[in-house]
Amino acid sequence: MTLTLAVMDSINTLTLGHYLLTSAALFVVGLVGFLTRRNLIVMFLSTELMFQAAAITFIAAGRFHLDVSGQVFVIFILTVAAAEAALALALIVLLYRRKETLSAEAWSELRE
Amino acid sequence: MDGIVLYTLCVLGALGLYLVLRPGGLPIRAVGGLIGLAAFVGLLFLATTSLAGDEGARPGVFFVIFSLIAIASGVKLITHTRPVYSALYFILVVLASAGLFLLLQAEFMAFALIIVYAGAILITYMFVIMLAQQAPDPHNPSARPEYDLVPREPFAGVAVGFILLALLSHMVSGVLRDPPAAPSLEEARVMAWQDLVDMPEQLKAIVLAEQPGVDLAEDAPPQLEATGDGTTALVRYTLADGTAGEPLELTEDALPENIQQVGLALILKFREGQLELAGVILLMAMFGAVVLARKQIELSEDEKRQAAGMRRLGHEDDPEDFHAAEGSH
Repeated sequence: MTLTLAVMDSINTLTLGHYLLTSAALFVVGLVGFLTRRNLIVMFLSTELMFQAAAITFIAAGRFHLDVSGQVFVIFILTVAAAEAALALALIVLLYRRKETLSAEAWSELRE
Repeated sequence: MDGIVLYTLCVLGALGLYLVLRPGGLPIRAVGGLIGLAAFVGLLFLATTSLAGDEGARPGVFFVIFSLIAIASGVKLITHTRPVYSALYFILVVLASAGLFLLLQAEFMAFALIIVYAGAILITYMFVIMLAQQAPDPHNPSARPEYDLVPREPFAGVAVGFILLALLSHMVSGVLRDPPAAPSLEEARVMAWQDLVDMPEQLKAIVLAEQPGVDLAEDAPPQLEATGDGTTALVRYTLADGTAGEPLELTEDALPENIQQVGLALILKFREGQLELAGVILLMAMFGAVVLARKQIELSEDEKRQAAGMRRLGHEDDPEDFHAAEGSH
């Protein structure tokens, strides 16, 4: 805890901006991955990447305001991510059994 | 931050990511990766110089290392043609962001992240990748399915993503130019002591540990008050015989640790059952996953009757059923 007070002043606006930029870049990488990949599993991995970015934002903002609520929110993000992964992977297994392929475009006839 | 330079860096990053994403030779992809990483470093550098003057406020070397690892493995994740390697790169992203959490003094969340993500979620992904793997072509075992090799609309995807990034970094630059009010160091210390005030049992335990053998009054919890600039605090307590005990001075070592703070916030600030709601979400997800992934087995009419313990249709003199009927006499 000595550590906390000793470096409590070390995060200021400048480094908060750096953390926010990192998380924005990570979010965008995840978004691009979700839009461009055609493999269902990699698409859902990309959404997990976006969850990570959101978690970094929460923790950095909470650290900036010296409020642990940001960390509590990350607990809930982890919960939602775990629930999402369980359901999405069950659906992927189901879809794979139907068409024997992981390609998202195998289901593109839903468009019509 | 300078707008033109900012948008140029975003365009450069988009170009880099596009070169990495689109199917091409290794040299082109390597050049693309370098351009993208250079654009990200430039973005960080721009953020640093935009508030130049305060020399001590540069991001630490660990921050640069961890954020570069996170971004680079994120890019590898979305560009690798084998899903198993994508999952492994995701573990690297998780480790790097756990490092960032450690830098932000969120020790509990850092390790929870590693345990839950790298330990549980990623293992599930691995199993699904193994379950849903197409049998390799015996003539060409290294062949990959076409949908892993060719991305879908890489140009449009990268454009959408980097328009979003330009918007976000523009907003972040607004934050840098006009920072929100953060608590000062002294306010922060006083707030940190407030956590200990919310934990009367812990305070009592600290008093007992500091002054063994003291007999505390049951109905008067110790009172804590930050002193001076908040680096120390004074605890006043009442003894069982009604007299005031000698005030105790606490140093920063007595403050609750990160995991205690998180637990306290979870209980004090989120008291209307949010945690229980999270549990319900997890339970429902578990039910959903079990119901979805269960294999449907079609039973014939005879099998259904047999499972229900009934005689099979049209087999009234079935010897097995006959014996079963005899045994019941």
